[in-house]
Amino acid sequence: MSILKAVVAELLSMFVADARQTVATLLLVAAVAALILALQADPLLGGAILFLGCIVIVIEAAVRETRRRGRRSHGMRL
Amino acid sequence: MAFESWGVAGPAVTAAFLASLVEVVEAFTVVLAVATLRGWRPAWLGTAAALAVLALTVALLGPLLDRVPIHALQLVIGIMLLLFGMGWLRKAILRAAGVIPLHDEDAIFASETASIQTEVSGTQSSRDWIAGLAAFKAVLLEGLEVIFIVIAVGARPGLLVPASIGALAACIAVLLIGVIVHRPLSRVPENTLKFGVGVMLSAFGVFWTGEGLGVDWPGQDVALLAFAAAFLATGLVTAAVLRRTYARALSDGARTGSALVSR
Repeated sequence: MSILKAVVAELLSMFVADARQTVATLLLVAAVAALILALQADPLLGGAILFLGCIVIVIEAAVRETRRRGRRSHGMRL
Repeated sequence: MAFESWGVAGPAVTAAFLASLVEVVEAFTVVLAVATLRGWRPAWLGTAAALAVLALTVALLGPLLDRVPIHALQLVIGIMLLLFGMGWLRKAILRAAGVIPLHDEDAIFASETASIQTEVSGTQSSRDWIAGLAAFKAVLLEGLEVIFIVIAVGARPGLLVPASIGALAACIAVLLIGVIVHRPLSRVPENTLKFGVGVMLSAFGVFWTGEGLGVDWPGQDVALLAFAAAFLATGLVTAAVLRRTYARALSDGARTGSALVSR
């Protein structure tokens, strides 16, 4: 049973390492899907938004984590 | 099954090889810890049992995947690749920037050894059982990640075989080097590999999510390479900027702390 729990936890951690990054990515894909499929926008436009959105999400997640650790380290020194 | 053009098959083989290399090195560290403590018999038995479970998983999953329409499969796998690849890329950026520590296989080997030692008590056979279970768990977990990576980068007609070959090559390489060296493979540049794999998997994720949504990427294979180049540039620039920012934040904090202490 504990092995099963470990396997499930590991598989989940593969895809949900940073909750905000995961939610942002899923929202981005949903928005692009709505744009292309529901609003019938040019698929290439949707593709460009998807690509640029992913770049922004990665940068934001890295910057946010750096700030958080910087603040935590600053606080410990005080 | 015909191979895809090398523009897409090449990155698929490379991504599968490098990603599998990272996973197999991590599994090998634990297997080596078990072998060091309790001998190669429980280590091999645990590994063999895990490989059997993995083979069964592939045998069951393979035919199921064939039934899923290709666009739906590409969309689901594309999204999973985005989550997985971008997660790895984020962590690789943070490690390259010095914000989080690098993965240290020697330290992991030491902690796994200590952990197995504290868990084992009782008879000789129960100790071997517990040690073998540790090997089984490690190989199973890392193996599942390898399977996902192979299926994900091979999620297009003609790519599964190249991706599988890449993964198999990685397994054989680590096994051969590990058997010869007989130590944790701590000199493998793990963060560099994870950086590269994060870049490639993110690029594949964008490519396939887009195809799953009906995007006809201009230049097909060239678009994939362009995404990879963009993610790589983004990662390198972000790591460089964050390295300076974080170092400044740490030195500002140190100065403030010592100023308060001296008052």
